[in-house]
Amino acid sequence: MMKSYRAARRLTNGMVYAILAVLAVLWVLPILYLIVLSLREEPGAYTPYLLPKAYTLDNYTALFTDTALFNYPRWLSNTLFVAVCTCVISTVTILMISYCFSRLRFPSRRRFMNVGLIMGMFPGFMSMIAVYHLLKLVGLDQSLIALILVYSSASCLGYFIAKGFFDTIPRALDEAATIDGANRNQIFWKITLPLSQPIVAYTALTSFIAPFADFIFVSVIMKDNYQNYTIALGLYQMITRENLYRYFTRFCAGAVLIAIPITILFLCMQKYYVEGVTGGSVKG
Amino acid sequence: MKVLRRIGILFLAVVLVFCLAACNRNRGDGDVTKDTVELKVWGAQEDQEMLKAMVEEFKKENPDTNYSITFGVVGEKDTQTKILEDPDAAADVFSFPDDQMGDLIKAGVLYEITLDKAAIMSENSEGSVAAATVDNKLYAYPMTADNGYFLYYDKSVLTEEDVKTLDGMLAAAQKKNKKVLMDVSNGWYLASFFLGAGGSLGLENGKQTCDFNNEQGVAAGEAVKAFCAHPAFITGEDAILTGGIGSTIAAGVSGTWTADAIQEKLGDNYAATKLPTFTLNGKQVQMKSFAGYKLMGVNSGTKHPKEAMKLARFLTNEKNQLIRFEKRAMGPSNIKAAADEKVKANVALSALAMQNQYGVSQANVLNSSWDPMEAFGTAMEAKDYKKTVKEYLDTMVSQMAA
Amino acid sequence: MDYIDFTQLHPVRKAIVGVRRGIIGFPKTVGQFFGAIRRGIAGFFRGIGRLIAETVAAFVHGDFRTRLSFLILGLGNAFRGQIVRGLLFFLCEIGYIAYMVLFGSSFLAKIGTLGTETQQKVFDETEGIYIYTRGDNSMQILLFSVLSILLTLLFIGVYLWNIRSAYRSQQLQEQEKPLPTFRQDLHSLLDSRYHVTLLTPPVVLVTLFTILPLIFMVLIAFTNFDKDHQPPGNLFTWIGLDNFSAMFGGNEQLGYTFLNLLLWTFVWALFSTFSNYIFGMILALLINKKGIRFKKFWRTVFIITIAVPQFVSLMLMSQLLADEGAVNVLLRELGWISESVPFLTNGTMAKITVLVINMWVGIPYSMLITTGILLNIPEDMYESARIDGAGPVTAFFKITLPYMLFVTTPYLITQFVNNINNFNVIYLLTRGGPLTLDYYKAGQTDLLVTWLYKQTVEEQNYNLAGVIGVIVFIITATFSLIVYNSSASAKKEEEFQ
Repeated sequence: MMKSYRAARRLTNGMVYAILAVLAVLWVLPILYLIVLSLREEPGAYTPYLLPKAYTLDNYTALFTDTALFNYPRWLSNTLFVAVCTCVISTVTILMISYCFSRLRFPSRRRFMNVGLIMGMFPGFMSMIAVYHLLKLVGLDQSLIALILVYSSASCLGYFIAKGFFDTIPRALDEAATIDGANRNQIFWKITLPLSQPIVAYTALTSFIAPFADFIFVSVIMKDNYQNYTIALGLYQMITRENLYRYFTRFCAGAVLIAIPITILFLCMQKYYVEGVTGGSVKG
Repeated sequence: MKVLRRIGILFLAVVLVFCLAACNRNRGDGDVTKDTVELKVWGAQEDQEMLKAMVEEFKKENPDTNYSITFGVVGEKDTQTKILEDPDAAADVFSFPDDQMGDLIKAGVLYEITLDKAAIMSENSEGSVAAATVDNKLYAYPMTADNGYFLYYDKSVLTEEDVKTLDGMLAAAQKKNKKVLMDVSNGWYLASFFLGAGGSLGLENGKQTCDFNNEQGVAAGEAVKAFCAHPAFITGEDAILTGGIGSTIAAGVSGTWTADAIQEKLGDNYAATKLPTFTLNGKQVQMKSFAGYKLMGVNSGTKHPKEAMKLARFLTNEKNQLIRFEKRAMGPSNIKAAADEKVKANVALSALAMQNQYGVSQANVLNSSWDPMEAFGTAMEAKDYKKTVKEYLDTMVSQMAA
Repeated sequence: MDYIDFTQLHPVRKAIVGVRRGIIGFPKTVGQFFGAIRRGIAGFFRGIGRLIAETVAAFVHGDFRTRLSFLILGLGNAFRGQIVRGLLFFLCEIGYIAYMVLFGSSFLAKIGTLGTETQQKVFDETEGIYIYTRGDNSMQILLFSVLSILLTLLFIGVYLWNIRSAYRSQQLQEQEKPLPTFRQDLHSLLDSRYHVTLLTPPVVLVTLFTILPLIFMVLIAFTNFDKDHQPPGNLFTWIGLDNFSAMFGGNEQLGYTFLNLLLWTFVWALFSTFSNYIFGMILALLINKKGIRFKKFWRTVFIITIAVPQFVSLMLMSQLLADEGAVNVLLRELGWISESVPFLTNGTMAKITVLVINMWVGIPYSMLITTGILLNIPEDMYESARIDGAGPVTAFFKITLPYMLFVTTPYLITQFVNNINNFNVIYLLTRGGPLTLDYYKAGQTDLLVTWLYKQTVEEQNYNLAGVIGVIVFIITATFSLIVYNSSASAKKEEEFQ
């Protein structure tokens, strides 16, 4: 009896391993293929064969040496700059908003929250022209600062998870601090924030990644200013119809290069990320 | 918290370094005197170096004026979108393919050219001038005459005789288990069947008119249907042609911009010619094509119209058209430049010249007409026959007119 | 079951009850929602009424210093020693007047017509060229008018606040109480009015970059701003509800396209949200199953795909799945197919493909998110279910799923709405294609947002895009407000802490 139970369990576990292995292959294979493509010597996006005939590292070196056409290092540093600033600004604002909605009670709090909720659902494309002209009015068009502003303001509305997280921190702590004479500002910085590492990390990570993904807002704001492109738009230029054949492998190399640091960042912060998002979305 | 603080410090450091770097870069632009003529030129990223060299020449030729000319990167394909987003931030001088003419004029961003009008019109080929004029008003400077398409083929697979007819070509390719590529789901290429069958496109009050759904047009549509259903047919964009030619693909329709890549792949077997004939109601009919041109326009909002025109005129003159040919293999619209020996010896350009005898101006095509044509092509490629060709074409034409 | 019974239930049972109640109570919630909107509007007008009453009272009972602040802002405060506060009010007034005189009024004056002067060109004989003079720019008139109106509303707020503040100070002085100093004002911003400090920067940002464009977009939907009426060459103007009537009835194909895309958008959002969610959960369950080793390794494998920026993996996928892409080449080399599989070029196939690829993109996320929550479900729940004879599948549907649905409602709503607006996946994979003649310039995988994008950027049909935008916005906003406010997590906000 015992034996067959164990055998059955071993069988199911075996099956689980098999499923996981198949899934893992499915998930990793495209990424591996991306790396293989980035090492391919022959140009072209489509080849009638699968594996490259010859391998080279030229695609990687060309990213940094052949910058007349595609200024990869410049775009990368632009993106890093925007990402870092956006990350700092939006983390601070999101935490401020969430703390405010979670801890403070003031008139129209509910109304503000509802407005925030629905504003986050507004499809951004129609706003692009308007935003561009507003930025131009204050002389910020075609600048990286404009991008930082736009990304930060967009992320303001994603306060839900962080608010959920703050809701889980016992209020008794605040009350104790108030009795000790702390004002709300001090409570926020000295009591709540230190307890919120996971959500800080989660928010920082998500807002850091956002500028790496957008290519549409950038193109509207930057227009003809090639030097101020970010990496997403820059890489997108490599695979337009005219450039696809010649620069596809270089696109792959560029993509791999930006994926590596983000992957490492993700792996390091994984623990916080999971804790933050679970803390934030669990509310029983 | 320690980890976070450390990350925070690192971030701040990065920001600081970058800010300092940015500040340094911005210095030194300030020495612009009062009577400086400031102009901005748009061109594709690939053309920037060439453009800069040309502008240096321009400055040398006009030493009396103090020019401050800046460059913006906008490829011809995106010109319309980028200008219309904000005409005031757009370049003073920009290049664009002629199918954007209609929309640009409608939006009022093209400066009507009056200086040297007669000279410009006589120096450039008839087609290119026609593409740049509307109602006898000249709106742009012809720049190239290569925005058309023709047939590339692999000499080791297809003979000169094979490529004369579409049927012959398909049969020969099928025998050797190879494909013939044409991007039928692209209105620009697709139209060659309809134009060949005598169809035409026109403009009426700024709206597109089109007769591709008449009797001849339906017959052409049936020819497209048969072509797409042929086992040797393959569709796809340029990257598929350049990727497969020489191995799986024997011939393909494309333009001069793929010439380098195809020549590289085919080597000695590289060949190009006009488009083949196709079977229309049992008779062989020559496929026509859009003979497109690239033009250079001046922004109607420019602060220095005369200088901008001077620059545009210079950038499109005979000498610079030849430079364009040498550096970027762009076919000249200037008659003298086109007659140059080197230009004539170019395989792709001479194939284009051959095809251009059957060329149709695309000045009458609105940019918004491509999507409905693409949709028809897509249906044919997908062998989606739930409606008749006639029904499809009726819808296509009505959407183009909308 | 009354409340006491409910609180004594096990959390998981509680969740199951909660979900059931939520579903049964849904119609009521919808009713409540509209009731709340009505109350909100009524409250808004009552508030305005109160403000007016207060202002009138201040004018009637105020002394000359208070009354002076009706004209010159901040004077009432400044006269009573609150110099900095008074100065700030005064600066607001100067700033507003300067803005209006120098910039705003010229646009605001033309909002009724959106401009009357078109671009002119006159031939200059001596120069030999035409001279262009720019006319009115309808788009800028509309946009900056909206900005001016918002600023005016803000100024009215400041104005009323100034009067109230002056009157309060007067009252305090009459009662011989000390007036708050500027230092005290600042201090209250860090404590009793801390929410003002925290919310001001985000509210400013959101107003400028989201609310203002939103109003702009809504207004565009009532104009004829399209390809034929573009600045600088042309003007556009108000045309009332014509765009809406064209969409719903006037133009048959437009309405047909809209309805079909709306349907597909919903199907897409529903499928992609739940497929990601459920499969992510199953994946998390598999990884966390007792006896499975290398949990961290498995998790890491899946996380790698999150870390590759989405646009890269999507562009890559669209290349791989193209008719001549690597997947087809592979299948052909294996001899499984002779003709390419039209993953992205056949309408139905493309729809399936984008859903599957979206799972590839999204499952690792939901795996991560559900992992932590799953671990919170006590093992003995499953144990007792097993004793009752329930297999793993029954346990999943009876215990895991209801509990998870209960606790992650906010996450699910956000996901659903994100998917309705999921531009990236569709645009980068198929660009909405394959195009079809059944639709008005739209493809078979186009969502409403990608259609909207094409209508603005590629077709310059801004008015049509405005209509689409307004409708998408109304749908998502109503939906999410109802669901969020009726979800247990919102209702129990207070009791949870």
